[in-house]
Amino acid sequence: MIDTIAFAQASDLLFSSFGPWLYVIPGLLIGLIFGAIPGLQISMAMAVFLPVTFGMDFLQAMLFLTSIFTGGAYGGGVTAILMNIPGSSSSVATAFDGYPMAKKGQHNEALGLGLGASVVGAFAGYLLLMFLIQPLAGAVLKLGPLEMVMVVVWGLTLIATLNDSTVAKGLMAGAFGLMLSQIGMSTTGTMRTKLGNPYLIDGIAVVPAMIGIFAASELLRLRGSSYLVQSDADREISFKRILAGMAMSLRYPKTLFRGSLIGAIIGAIPGVGSSVANLVAYGEVRRTSKNPEAFGKGEPEGVVAAETANSSSEGGSMTALLALGIPGGAATAVLLAAFSFHNIIGGPAFIRDETELVYAIIIGNMGQVVLLGVLGLLTLRLLGLVIKVPLAYLVPSVLALCAWGGYGITGTLAGPLTVAAFAGLGWLMRRHNYPVAAAVIGLLLGRMTEGELVRTMQISGGNPLGYLLERPIAIAFFILLVVISLILPIMRHRKAKKALV
Amino acid sequence: MTSRLSLSHAALLACVAVISCYITWSAIAASTRLYNLIVVVPVAVIIAVLLITLVWQALSGSVPDGALPDRKSTIGDIIMLVAFGVFCFGLTKFGFDIATFIFVWAGVAFGGERRLWLPPVYAAVFTLALVKFFGSLFPFPMPLLVL
Repeated sequence: MIDTIAFAQASDLLFSSFGPWLYVIPGLLIGLIFGAIPGLQISMAMAVFLPVTFGMDFLQAMLFLTSIFTGGAYGGGVTAILMNIPGSSSSVATAFDGYPMAKKGQHNEALGLGLGASVVGAFAGYLLLMFLIQPLAGAVLKLGPLEMVMVVVWGLTLIATLNDSTVAKGLMAGAFGLMLSQIGMSTTGTMRTKLGNPYLIDGIAVVPAMIGIFAASELLRLRGSSYLVQSDADREISFKRILAGMAMSLRYPKTLFRGSLIGAIIGAIPGVGSSVANLVAYGEVRRTSKNPEAFGKGEPEGVVAAETANSSSEGGSMTALLALGIPGGAATAVLLAAFSFHNIIGGPAFIRDETELVYAIIIGNMGQVVLLGVLGLLTLRLLGLVIKVPLAYLVPSVLALCAWGGYGITGTLAGPLTVAAFAGLGWLMRRHNYPVAAAVIGLLLGRMTEGELVRTMQISGGNPLGYLLERPIAIAFFILLVVISLILPIMRHRKAKKALV
Repeated sequence: MTSRLSLSHAALLACVAVISCYITWSAIAASTRLYNLIVVVPVAVIIAVLLITLVWQALSGSVPDGALPDRKSTIGDIIMLVAFGVFCFGLTKFGFDIATFIFVWAGVAFGGERRLWLPPVYAAVFTLALVKFFGSLFPFPMPLLVL
């Protein structure tokens, strides 16, 4: 499966001079910073720094931009762990267990776990890409909207497992998120629910809503305390404990493997990507865990699952870009722009004619992942200092940052107002034990669900069941979905009942 | 079993009900084609069933609301929430710099900082850092009054 001559040429391109690596460390740092600040998107960082790549050769440009991508994927997890603010939608599931760990004084371990899982996940994603780029590209072309519906529904099933008190409250939060996602113009262009407000034509801006419902509402709840972590001793930033956390991630080989695989496969599907991958991986690991009730309360395995999947999805998203020339998301769209800057067109011809360049990008990214491990360890001590800040200062400062972040995404007053409205909603939901994460999942996946369902109905001529029978991949996804979300839980429930008798 | 549906829980459920009804009505009024209602209508039905379940659970006391924070803490949260709403609205009206400076100053003082000189100094440094570093990365123009 590997062209050994091209592989040798790629190694020569990468290791015969220091040139290709020159911009990797700055790129990783930029990614870490942009990822860690709510409201600054990784794709925004890549777009801002795209003009810088004019003066670089193609490989340098690719490694610089992908290092921003790699750094950003982990940076989003840092704020998710320390402050319950997912830097991007790909870090939503990291906050589920990372933040409770931080509140218990295990922030060092949680940061280390996240870093370890990100390094393993990203490495595994690129390793899979190296071996499977051609067959995977073929499979991606066979995926239609029906298969995407299956994947998105798989992500939505996580809603049923997220409940802080009762199943009804979890489902209500998820369903309300789905309902809110329907504001604005429909997939087919029907104008609905815009309240005469032009800002609502495209629907509710998801990232400001996520910042408001997750972060701002949590900050309001923290207001009465003195520090994020109450005990003085637990507030210590320990390099040793971060390292121990990193090593701890290796204690979950099955989770690392499953997270990487789910992330790489879902990441390869254009338009779905890391925002769904981290949720699906978290849901699957929780579902099959012997101790599912520990999830959401600071279970290290949850952090590992989420971080592995969102990092390995990067390798997956590169599949469609390199092999087909299709950008799967905003970040890969910027990479495609860098392709055109250098007069290169991604796709089957690129893989065939420039195999050594493709391998060089993949191997270079693996090298970046190792560097991320080192750089992450060095910067985590600095980023972790946030828990030493008294809440009297932290709460208004981060609230201000949230509002600015909302503006940074929309460029209008709609962003900060969305943050404020969702902060209020989140505060009310948390007060009565409704899982805000379920509402975010509904909001995040609602539009995608609608779009793919409509396309499926259109392609199938209004007969989705008949169409399903013609799609072997969709049938496989459907069987997998039914087995995982219905049959396995019933079997486990019966087994537990029998054990009690 | 005691019947309990707190005011804030009732407000949340009412908010969900009103918003869901409006979105569903608006979608149906815009077009009754299947493609337009493929998600809205099934979700509206689910929400209606869940609303009835949750109200019944709360009123019958089968699932109690749980311990709510005390009145003083709730009032503090609401003041902070309203202040945050005003701050968000004021960002483009008064300028990002002034709005941030006042909000952070008031927020720190409200959070319990007793040294009178520190909150305004901190708020000024924080605002300056935000405008010069964070703001410079924005791809959009940002209204400022002083800086």
